[in-house]
Amino acid sequence: MIAYLITITILVCVAALVGLALNLQWGLAGLVNFGVVGFVAIGAYAAALLAPEIGWLPAMAVSAALSAAFSAGLALLAIRLEENYLAIVTIGFGEVVRLVILNEPWLTNGALGIADIPRPFAALGDAVGGDAVFLVFAVALVALAFVTLEGMARSPFGRALRAIRDDATVTSALGKNVFALRVRAFAVGGAVMGIAGALHAYYLTYIDPGQFTPIVTAYAFMAVIAGGRGSNVGLLVGAGSIMALLEGTRFLKDFITVIDGVQLSALRLGLIGVGIVLLLILRPQGLAPEPRRRTSDVLPDRTTRS
Amino acid sequence: MAVQLFFNGLVTGLLIALPALALTLIFGVLKFANFAVGSMVTLGAYAAWVANVRLGLPLSASAAIAAVTVAAAGVASDQLVFERLRERGSISLLVASMGVSLIIENVCRFAFGNASRGFDVAPSRPIRWQGIRINQEQITTAAVVLVCLVLVDALLRFSPLGRAMRAVADNASLAAVRGVERRTVARLTWALVGALLGVAGVLSGLDRAIDPLIGWNYQIPIFAAAILGGLGSPLGAIAGALVIGVAEEMSALVIPTNYRQVVSFAVILALLLFRANGLFGAKAARR
Repeated sequence: MIAYLITITILVCVAALVGLALNLQWGLAGLVNFGVVGFVAIGAYAAALLAPEIGWLPAMAVSAALSAAFSAGLALLAIRLEENYLAIVTIGFGEVVRLVILNEPWLTNGALGIADIPRPFAALGDAVGGDAVFLVFAVALVALAFVTLEGMARSPFGRALRAIRDDATVTSALGKNVFALRVRAFAVGGAVMGIAGALHAYYLTYIDPGQFTPIVTAYAFMAVIAGGRGSNVGLLVGAGSIMALLEGTRFLKDFITVIDGVQLSALRLGLIGVGIVLLLILRPQGLAPEPRRRTSDVLPDRTTRS
Repeated sequence: MAVQLFFNGLVTGLLIALPALALTLIFGVLKFANFAVGSMVTLGAYAAWVANVRLGLPLSASAAIAAVTVAAAGVASDQLVFERLRERGSISLLVASMGVSLIIENVCRFAFGNASRGFDVAPSRPIRWQGIRINQEQITTAAVVLVCLVLVDALLRFSPLGRAMRAVADNASLAAVRGVERRTVARLTWALVGALLGVAGVLSGLDRAIDPLIGWNYQIPIFAAAILGGLGSPLGAIAGALVIGVAEEMSALVIPTNYRQVVSFAVILALLLFRANGLFGAKAARR
């Protein structure tokens, strides 16, 4: 049971990192990214291929840098597109990454995947027993990402991104470089997705193309919608609990024997779709909405109308 | 070889034309990119499979059943999901369509599993004409699509529904003032679009094995075709589909066939970069 809980928590940590990254891109900056899975996959493969050569920490740094570079590149090409078009370009990018991973066996070992990825703190983990050490590592990573991204959201950079999301024309008229800010937001998000991919690879110690399906993207969107677009706290609290529930259904198959494994996974994936739709309709502001500053916060002696 | 590939490309293009047309009609009338097109193609393929293999109906009757099933699914998705989000802006609708796509795809997976299926049709010899191999399925596909396109064209041009759809696409508020109800038009558009996607599902089931991802595999070519034609332009979508089909098949001459899908992606990207309005108008860049 404890082992289950640890596994679920680590998987939630991976998903939370991806969610935090998407929350910066989509929640804060208003940039739709339907290719999330592509950036996670790039991070995972970079970490898996490099960790045995240069150690896990430098490999993770390379994962983040590589994923950020691809994000920035894609953003430079496509970020000026209107959201419907940006969505299809990013979804196409995700598919291209998957195709390359499948069809370049000299680099990625194709459909067979990469096994025996070294795990950080393996020696320490063996000494303590179980995945507890890795759990601490994963939680620490999420905490680090949260503090960094929350700091960013409160910084002038974050304010400018929110302004762009709400009205790009006005922001641009106020002298902000909308294009550069959007590219930066996309790149930072990409870096965090790369780190999430590396964490995924280190935990499972085996990756193959089948793990990187558009479901990863859908998951991240559900997390952001559930938490409330733009709210990092909401993402961790609200999305964390929902993801834990969904991840928990992975283990239902040990208890329910009426439906088979494929049906169970179909049920879980379908539930993600239901979750996205229901949350959008019933609670579009999310479980913990983005804190909005009112006029009265800045000018306390004025009327309370915002 | 090149001529054969060109011919295959035209047929593939015709196959993509129906969903591309569906995508563009929804975009024109309801102003959002419906990411559930692929999954609705999948639903159509399975509906026809059930009718054809489980119930033993001929393929034509199965296609009719598929069209009705997907039309019903389209209307239901509008009623349950999209209508409630209509005032919320295109991003919400876009993300919601992703959710709808997941639901439909996994309903199919839950009911039929991941195994590949095929229709119960007698294998037939390909015809040889001027050195080109022409399959029976290709003839069926081309004929069915052409008939559908003529019907839709007539509908859009001459019927009251077509006029109403064009009016709403052009200016929804003005149409409302003139007594054209957006809601009714939206429902009917979904029914029409669903029927097109259902037929497309049957045709794609003739082309390849039916599995839960059959429609998803067409997703990027469909979008490429619709964007190439300038989202919202029916004629453009058909032209775009033919170009994408030919480009995908002909790409086999220069790059490995595994990378066919990359062609569509490259076309979208190049087009949006150099001619952001598509071949037939529509604005892609913001501010």
